[in-house]
Amino acid sequence: MAIDKVTLQVLANHCRAAAENMAYTLYRTAHSTFVKETEDFTVALTDAAGKTVCVPMDLGATWYPGLDYGAAMRMIPDYEPGDIGFTNDPYSGFLATHSPDLHIWKPIFHEGEIVCYAVGHIHNTDVGGAVPASLSRSLIEIHQEGIRFPPSKLYKAGRLNDELMRVMMINVRKPEQNWGDLKAFVGAMNTGERKVKEMLAKFGIGTVRQGLSDLMDYAEFQAREILRGIPDGEYFFSDYADEDSVGGNPCRLALNLKIKGDEAILDFTGSDPQLTSAINVPTGGNPRHTLMLVGVYYVLFTLNPNLLLNSGLTRPFTCILPEGTVVNPQFPAAVGMRSLTCGRLRSLIFGAFGLAIPERMPAAPAGSSSIMNVMTHDNRSGKAIIAAIDPIVGGGGGMPHGDGTNGSGADAAYLKNTPVEINEAEVPIKILRYGLATDSGGAGRWRGGLATQLDFQVFSPNTRITARNRDRSRFRPWGILGGRAGKPSNFILNPGTAKERVLGNTDILTADPGDVIRIYSPGGGGRGSPLDREPERVLTDVVRGYVSVPAADEEYGVVIRDGAVDMAATVARRASMRRNEPEGHFDFGPERIAYERVWTREAYDALTGILADLPVHWRFFVKGRIFAKVGQGEDGMAGGGRAAIEQAYGEVRAEYPQIRS
Amino acid sequence: MGYRIGVDIGGTFIDFCLFDESSGELRTLKVLTTPATPGAEIMQGLKILEDRYGVPPQEIVSFVHGTTVGINTVIQRKGASLALFTTEKFEDVVELARLRMPETYSLFSRRPDPLVPRDLIFGIGERMLADGSVDRPLDEASVADAVARARAKGAQGIVVAFLNAYRNPAHEEAAQAIVRRLAPDLFIFRSSEVWPVIREYERTTTALINGYIHPRVDLYLGSLQKALIDHGVAAEPLITKSNGGVMSAEIGKTNCVSMVLSGTASGVMGATWVSAEAGVRNAVTLDIGGTSADVALIIDGKPQFGMGEKIGEFPLYIPSVSVTSIGDGGGSIAWVDGFGVLKVGPESAGSDPGPACYGKGGTRATITDAFAVCGFIGHHQLAYNSVAPDVAKARAAVQQVADKVGLGLRETAEAIIRIAISGMFMEINKLVARYGVDVRDFALLPFGGAGPMLGCFLARELGVDRVLIPTTPGVVSALGGLIADVKNDFIRTVFVDAEPDAVAVLRREMAALDAQGARWLREEQRFDGAVEARWSCDMSYKGQSFEIEVPIQAHWLRDGDMAAIATAFHDVHERTYDFCDRAAPAHIVNLRLVVAGSTQKPQLRPLATASGRPEPEKMLDVFYDGVEHRVPLYRRGDLRAGHHFAGPCVVAQDDSTACIPGGFAAEVDALGNIFLTRSA
Repeated sequence: MAIDKVTLQVLANHCRAAAENMAYTLYRTAHSTFVKETEDFTVALTDAAGKTVCVPMDLGATWYPGLDYGAAMRMIPDYEPGDIGFTNDPYSGFLATHSPDLHIWKPIFHEGEIVCYAVGHIHNTDVGGAVPASLSRSLIEIHQEGIRFPPSKLYKAGRLNDELMRVMMINVRKPEQNWGDLKAFVGAMNTGERKVKEMLAKFGIGTVRQGLSDLMDYAEFQAREILRGIPDGEYFFSDYADEDSVGGNPCRLALNLKIKGDEAILDFTGSDPQLTSAINVPTGGNPRHTLMLVGVYYVLFTLNPNLLLNSGLTRPFTCILPEGTVVNPQFPAAVGMRSLTCGRLRSLIFGAFGLAIPERMPAAPAGSSSIMNVMTHDNRSGKAIIAAIDPIVGGGGGMPHGDGTNGSGADAAYLKNTPVEINEAEVPIKILRYGLATDSGGAGRWRGGLATQLDFQVFSPNTRITARNRDRSRFRPWGILGGRAGKPSNFILNPGTAKERVLGNTDILTADPGDVIRIYSPGGGGRGSPLDREPERVLTDVVRGYVSVPAADEEYGVVIRDGAVDMAATVARRASMRRNEPEGHFDFGPERIAYERVWTREAYDALTGILADLPVHWRFFVKGRIFAKVGQGEDGMAGGGRAAIEQAYGEVRAEYPQIRS
Repeated sequence: MGYRIGVDIGGTFIDFCLFDESSGELRTLKVLTTPATPGAEIMQGLKILEDRYGVPPQEIVSFVHGTTVGINTVIQRKGASLALFTTEKFEDVVELARLRMPETYSLFSRRPDPLVPRDLIFGIGERMLADGSVDRPLDEASVADAVARARAKGAQGIVVAFLNAYRNPAHEEAAQAIVRRLAPDLFIFRSSEVWPVIREYERTTTALINGYIHPRVDLYLGSLQKALIDHGVAAEPLITKSNGGVMSAEIGKTNCVSMVLSGTASGVMGATWVSAEAGVRNAVTLDIGGTSADVALIIDGKPQFGMGEKIGEFPLYIPSVSVTSIGDGGGSIAWVDGFGVLKVGPESAGSDPGPACYGKGGTRATITDAFAVCGFIGHHQLAYNSVAPDVAKARAAVQQVADKVGLGLRETAEAIIRIAISGMFMEINKLVARYGVDVRDFALLPFGGAGPMLGCFLARELGVDRVLIPTTPGVVSALGGLIADVKNDFIRTVFVDAEPDAVAVLRREMAALDAQGARWLREEQRFDGAVEARWSCDMSYKGQSFEIEVPIQAHWLRDGDMAAIATAFHDVHERTYDFCDRAAPAHIVNLRLVVAGSTQKPQLRPLATASGRPEPEKMLDVFYDGVEHRVPLYRRGDLRAGHHFAGPCVVAQDDSTACIPGGFAAEVDALGNIFLTRSA
């Protein structure tokens, strides 16, 4: 019997209060910059089965309102009051999704029975392994990504498990930080327990237990209500990460979104095989794994800003995640850099929903946020300095009734930058430019948000610069409904000089004294035909430096002379341009259009079929061989389709008779 | 001896607080605002004070004013057309802001449009480095060119904010001089004079707000000065500041940014004074009006200060009394979503049309209407007899909600109250968690027109056992102006570790701040009373991107006692964040000075005493906790020091109505405050 809906709303507020309390406690007392600056943490309450019921809205990451702790929790056979469980192993219950993420949970008891859990995660700066910070695209097995703990008791009946902690601390590079964060984290769990006990005293066990269940029903109702407003149908979309490994081939992600009534199936069949690199996304095939649904949370919240965020939202959704693919890799595939792929998974979902409800969805956001770190020496003191300088984030996609936001937005709206003055005071670098990149937003009736650009100079030998999550330097953020794709990102050493080197998706660079480094993000995609954008608005963009005079002419057909619109010339220019307007829902930009002349949907269907029949450990290898034969773009077997792939596979089999399918 | 007057402007009313120095009497008055002729209501109020209480203008020795003209200019986007001069290649500083957006789950989240559009931002050839050395000299021709272009685009004023100007303002000063020479008709502000602190976005946006509101503030304060002189008031008007102090109106005309939050800050200062007089050290202040609900913490007798308070959509980086918005006040509207769940707010009926029961055209149920339906209000006129509540209209509005949720009329009204209270509960929980304090150790101090209506219900929800309802809840902000000190903040970014080699830098900056403070207080404010100087440092560990303010002793600076500064930092860090690292260097980002000239505080006349229960005016039927109760209605004016009574009851007064459920015992203290203690 559901509790009454007035009490339900009151209880919802009390649960939020508990979650926000936990978040502020953690934020206030944590040590590491990951928690303090990037807010890469979550806290939540789950029900007695481990399903997330309530998350904070003010602080923390946006990925986990549908996280299911159940499988990992059940790997510990029994609990008593004062216990705290933890794990960071991506392959134990598929709770942690890379090894730096430490998840913990504290059961909250009432008269000997577990009512719910206080839970959360923090991203540790380092958990040991092959490289500092434990993350690199080049790693190929989980064992290289640091020490892993299967679900274990951190506290047993209120007593710390010292031995386990010593094992952790001896294996990590910054033990005092991990320990400091862990203490803060335990404090947050205790805060959650205290708040729940207050709720039990106020509402009674029956109401709390039933209420937690009702809150999930409530969120489920809201999600179903939104789905009912979306036309039934199948909406297929695919997107690509530029590289499936360092310097590798594109990584394709595919989604067939099937909406029927108030339910949706998300079939990811056609996504690439699991990769011999660290950008796999560990899900264990869980049909409602939270990492697969992050894009869905954004879509639902955008369509209903009063949405309650909890596991109930995930109930109408079922993901199909074929085993041995990038979205369901088998142990021991490396997964450390899954956040790069997660960015593409979100754009995949935005694209598929955009096909279903084009009138309510924006074009692609920039979708790539490079996290910049500099390791250098201070020439005066000789001291080594390591610092995170800035996330390089691009703009939002053109919206139904407005331009995409410049410089950040949409699914990257939570990131914060570091002031130029702080960077220059703390790190011996000089920033030459920090601002928006002209002409980087996709043209459209509503323009895509502009990219950010950062130019800086370093002064010490062997300065190492890392730019994690580099992507979209090839395949652009797409435009929709006639809007054009945003411009791709790039990473360039010594631009405009004889020493210029274009680095593309490279994510680590060693620079010499005096070198200048330029990095810019992609721009957001445009929405609607740029020929429909009011000339006055284009003029304003030109005056503001968002769009150049030549681009106003070439992309918008707006002729600007002496700071004013030449209306006659504009009308004529637009009339001629209108005859050559591209058709179709999406504009992907020239790179993807050329690529898909070879790698058609049909060709990919053939490849997917071939690889799915192979043992998992052969798949990435065979994919690479087929790509070597078929090529990509201009020099490839254009239009070859299924036959070309099968022919190439025949050659690969001849070359490697060891292949058995 | 004479009269001291505090005046505070809210959304609906102007509040007057009059203190008679010879009798110790405190009187209050409310006048409806007249948006069409700002300032006229002040003269109207002074006229009423003269007619009603015999206050001759020439005997007004102090006139302190809190005004919303600054914040309204920002919220309504009615400020100056500005040009911004930045360092070349950093023109996007205000648009990029700090990247993060307010709503992180929505694909449609946006940042506010900057106060100055991109085409009025001009990059100037110059570059100062982080150590204050010149990397590229100021290109004077580029300044002249920018001035010409700014003028062509119709700019009324210019703000100059160059990179690293917090460290060396020479280029900003040189650019300012060029602008003054070329365009004496344009006003100009420098980021290094408005608030010279590290972090370019924060410093630039603070300087921009100053320029943006300057013309309207200047006009407003100028006409106030003139009107007071015309009226025969000789005292120079003082303006309440965001930092809880006051400054002369003349200074406020250019130092506009420091008065933006004057009303909310002086509310907290007034509440701090009330709680100190009543012997309460720790309090949550709850200021609820028709259109806003704000809370603040008083810890150990002191209000909390911070930077980054929100002005409309913009953060303001000057030291301000920390106030957190927890909703939209008594006018918040109740509605029902698709699942049948009742919600309250964020939409608000505001002051126009206001709650349905105000009879000004509102038809949707608000929190105030819910209290009317439950019988707590409607028996008396509200707000100094300016509103005669129409309970029938409240019932009609709440009935529409009741039809959707399938509950009875009164049950629905109570549900609206419960949900509104639980939302405020959540917000206050966030606030206390941020400070790491337990709300149950605090008293609740409700004020504003609607604070006492909701205060006791909120106290029950929070588990707070003590509630203090001040004598005149509706004019606590105006009272705050009366008791405020003349006060200003000064800052120098130093960026040194608290090590011996920093002593010279700190001593030099200390001397500079000292001179600045003395000049402000003695010359600009012409203050000649006792002065308090409070020193502090904004400090952090390496790698932290935020600082905490650490109070320090002046002699530590003079004696070069860096160890004492470091220890103080570790201690504050431990107290604030539950840990510290005593082996790590203590980094000093800013050296700060607050100078405060103490003003004479009113000595209130104690209330006449009585004992036992006050005589109720009548009995009311009120509905709460699912049951109808017959409860006494007391008139606040009938209460005497020493009176005892108990909830459930209602206490009505001219400026507010206190709704007290069962379980609270009330006692009237010597000054007339109602002290409530919860037993169940």
